[in-house]
Amino acid sequence: MRVAQARRFVISDHPLPWLLPLVAILLVFTVYPLIYNIWLSFHGFVPRRRALEFVGTENWVQLWNDARFWQSLVITFTYFAIALIFELVLGMAIALLLDSDGFGFGFLRGVLTMTLVIPPAIVGMMYLLMEDPQFGVISYLLQSVGLLNPNNPILATASTALAGVLVAEIWQWTPFMVLIFLAGLRALPPEPYEAAMIDGASSFQIFRRITLPMMSKVIAIAVLVRGIDLFRVFDYVFVMTSGGPGASTYSLSLYAWQQTFSFVKWGYGATLSLVTLVIILVIANLFIRIAKVRW
Amino acid sequence: MNGSFSTRMLRTIAAWVVVAIFFFPIYYWTSVAFKHGNDIFNRPPKLFAFTPTFDNFQKVFGISLGSGGITVTPGGGNFYMAPRVWDSIVIATLSTVLAVVIATLAAYALSRMNFRGRHSFVGWVLSTRMMPPVAVAVPMFFIYKNFGLIDTYTGMVLIHALMNLPLAVLLMKSFFDDIPSEIDESAIVDGASRFMIFRRIVLPMAKGGIAATAVLCFIFSWTEFLFALTLTTTSLKTVPVVSSTFVTSIGTAWGNMAALGAASIIPAFIFILLVQKHLVRGLTMGSLKQ
Amino acid sequence: MKDSIRKAHLASVTDRFVRGQMDRRSFLRAASILGLGAGALGMGLGRRPFYGISQASAQEQELKPSAEITKWLSDVGKPFAGTTLRLATESTPPSNAIATQLKQYFEEATGIKVEIEVLPLEQVLQKLTLDVASSLGTYDLYYIDQSWAASFSQDVFDPREQLKNADLAMPNYNIDDFLKPLVDGIAMYEDRMVGVPYDIPIFIMQYRKDVWDELKLPPPATLDDLLQASAAITDAKGPNMYGTSGQMKSGHYSLECDWTAWLWGHGGSIFGPDGKFTGNDEAGLAAMAYWDKLKATMPPGVDGWTWDGEGQSVGQGVAASMLSWGEFFPFFDDPKASKVSGLMEAMVPPKPAATLRTVEQTGFGEIPGVGHQGGSSLAVSKYSKSPDAAWIFMQWATSADTQALITVLGGGTGPTRTSVYDDPRVLANARVGAGTTRHLPVVRDTIANYMGSEPDLPAWAELSSDMIPVALGKYFAGQSGSAKESLDALKTQVDDLVAKG
Repeated sequence: MRVAQARRFVISDHPLPWLLPLVAILLVFTVYPLIYNIWLSFHGFVPRRRALEFVGTENWVQLWNDARFWQSLVITFTYFAIALIFELVLGMAIALLLDSDGFGFGFLRGVLTMTLVIPPAIVGMMYLLMEDPQFGVISYLLQSVGLLNPNNPILATASTALAGVLVAEIWQWTPFMVLIFLAGLRALPPEPYEAAMIDGASSFQIFRRITLPMMSKVIAIAVLVRGIDLFRVFDYVFVMTSGGPGASTYSLSLYAWQQTFSFVKWGYGATLSLVTLVIILVIANLFIRIAKVRW
Repeated sequence: MNGSFSTRMLRTIAAWVVVAIFFFPIYYWTSVAFKHGNDIFNRPPKLFAFTPTFDNFQKVFGISLGSGGITVTPGGGNFYMAPRVWDSIVIATLSTVLAVVIATLAAYALSRMNFRGRHSFVGWVLSTRMMPPVAVAVPMFFIYKNFGLIDTYTGMVLIHALMNLPLAVLLMKSFFDDIPSEIDESAIVDGASRFMIFRRIVLPMAKGGIAATAVLCFIFSWTEFLFALTLTTTSLKTVPVVSSTFVTSIGTAWGNMAALGAASIIPAFIFILLVQKHLVRGLTMGSLKQ
Repeated sequence: MKDSIRKAHLASVTDRFVRGQMDRRSFLRAASILGLGAGALGMGLGRRPFYGISQASAQEQELKPSAEITKWLSDVGKPFAGTTLRLATESTPPSNAIATQLKQYFEEATGIKVEIEVLPLEQVLQKLTLDVASSLGTYDLYYIDQSWAASFSQDVFDPREQLKNADLAMPNYNIDDFLKPLVDGIAMYEDRMVGVPYDIPIFIMQYRKDVWDELKLPPPATLDDLLQASAAITDAKGPNMYGTSGQMKSGHYSLECDWTAWLWGHGGSIFGPDGKFTGNDEAGLAAMAYWDKLKATMPPGVDGWTWDGEGQSVGQGVAASMLSWGEFFPFFDDPKASKVSGLMEAMVPPKPAATLRTVEQTGFGEIPGVGHQGGSSLAVSKYSKSPDAAWIFMQWATSADTQALITVLGGGTGPTRTSVYDDPRVLANARVGAGTTRHLPVVRDTIANYMGSEPDLPAWAELSSDMIPVALGKYFAGQSGSAKESLDALKTQVDDLVAKG
């Protein structure tokens, strides 16, 4: 009898059985870490005793007064904004360019996705080599056309280091945007275009008035997914600049990583992570409101 | 859209140029894999004119190119990485399967069933991706240690699946949303159960969406660094983690690292090619809804 | 001549050479008479021990642990057969030689399985930190960089205590054979021994003999010589070749290493006896002034390099010299990896520009000296589930016999034991070619007479790999004003952190 009851429940319209695996795994793997980090942010690791000690709000006060935190926040924002704009615009432009059934275009779309399958840690090393001031191919090309002064190495000059890291970031993730936008473009219904054609609209007008509005949901999802990852940037800065020169490329995630692992300041590391989480939550929710994203 | 012949020509040229620019670093990196140290570090950098060598692949994969063609001898040592590529393939494949299965079930419910708090539930699922990985890695390390999951496929598959779930749920939901719910309703009238509708009708229609989700999950697992670093020690390693092994106290073994990097493109790329047809169609469906 | 007598004689000849009682030429002549001649040279040339590549050459067959040691291992290791030991280590020549070529002998003899995780330095620190903080015993042995000795001193066994257990002690392990300065500089923290010295990368002067000869420059025997020569070379050959190089990547430990060499060399120190930062005093500013002038003669981009870029710049002939890790010397002699094979000369670090401070004049056990050392120790973790098996492995890995094999197979890395410098297998590789050991007499001399060691305090890991190199990076990037302003600001930060404990 009970088996039959259970069976009826499982095949019923109740959402619980469907959501149960998801909820279970998310509870264990995210709610627990969240609680743990909140607890940790009120503690400090005492190296001498190899133990955590309650320190009250010390970590939070320290955070408020930590110039380095504020600086890395600004850098993370800058990185996030520049990368997102470039990836969006370039991604859309390339998607429009490649949205064709012409000969070879399928191949080109395939080649473009290759950038995505290389681990970011390796991409960082790759660009570190290519941007090397003496042996790097990018430095060499820029120097030979006079765009780069050999005395200002890309990654070791404060004004260009972030750009040097962003090149790797944008190179790797623009194709991600292209992939998503292409799918969106290919799905657009043909009727509005035909109508616009008859009215004699220019290509730009068509893009502005028809393509962009119809693509808005796709763009919103792409911005959200990519934006979250951008705000947690770690691999590239870690490998390429160690946050330098000085602290010109020091991101929040790198700061949290260092505090946690290199200096055993678990409490402060957790505090930094929580703040990062809150900032992303706020921005993402604002974005969802403003862009009127409905799930 | 069509245009005159010259516009089409121009577009084709522009497309090739753009893709060539994106491909150039991959070419360069691959060329490093075939270079001796002296050719990697040359001023000016050598693009084409170098004597290719198979040394790097021999060290990293035990592949050597002799007079009798290619021979493969499984080697040992720190720089022998073939088993690590296998580890990566296993972890990426299994975690993709797990993430897609769980996400598909959940996404169907979120797409078809109305319940209170559905909107915020989706928001909550998405928010689990916003936590910096460092903050998840430390507590996970302790849990894993207690349950003996360090250095196991199970452990890595679980954490990578978790990492991909928010994105997978979001994508799958939008694909399901695009399949008209009238289909479900008519089937219910015919007396079919929810699960049957899901199995027999909706799932086959969402094949493309599943492929697209799978590709993204695979890529994210294939390239993940911090969890793999923290939750493994000696018996299990993924490609991103071992790639840092080449950074040694007597300099970086660039050629070996490039050999691993270049070779690691292949499995993931094959996976993408296999599902590419579905991919474009799949993502297509997902974006239809306005 | 009987083999044992021959070896003993060889050892004494080398010893005299090292102490400077014999010139190079007569040393080589004597050595060749004693059987280190053309044969050994010829054998060495074809070998490429780099990156742990193994070759089935005839010589390789002899490069095995000695029979007595294998016998001892199988006796003492029997009760522990089936145990698995784990070690996380930086990717260094000794660790690579053990992991790829030597540990199989240990495993065969004892039945103990050894798993070695090879990582970049900062990731080793992450692994150890997690292990210690959780007391979980994931790793049985710790690879402890000298800059972390204070942090991990309570988490490992003192080898002198372990040696008291006669059942497990290796015959003739001879803990006194470790070079005394290394024991003090790497392994000692307060009165505890944090393991035994395991490897010893140390700054030596490496320069292009051919370039120096061509421009008729005196060898860089003093810091001023180095600056003059470097400027002359850069003037004569730039931008194709620069006088010297550096490892000056902002925010990276390597930048701190370079800084200490110049600081100590100008009679400065990081800390005063009161434990306060003194890098901004007069000597400290003199060092910065010197460094600025020297940097102007280095290749542009030196501030983006760690030791990898620095080594490549010399190996590719972009820079004509470096005061840096001696471990790179064998790499320069490898014709496949570098363009300067046979052209490099090793010598002890340049004489300081002012009198070195004594240990009493500094704080936290800092030992001033231009030959900055970056050694590491190997120790058994207190959280290990099988500390006895780990101790057996540790003795074997740091025994004289194994170290000699490491030096030969691992590509000419500097040994930490006195006797290994005189080992015939090591001496046999003192010829031009990959994995050369021809620089080792200089390394030994530097350890004995010119070595500088960083201070030991729990906050040192953070100071040396973050606070100091970030501040210096800011200075060189022009973000923090004059040297004085930058170092004054650094002093405030450092003193704050140290006060917090």
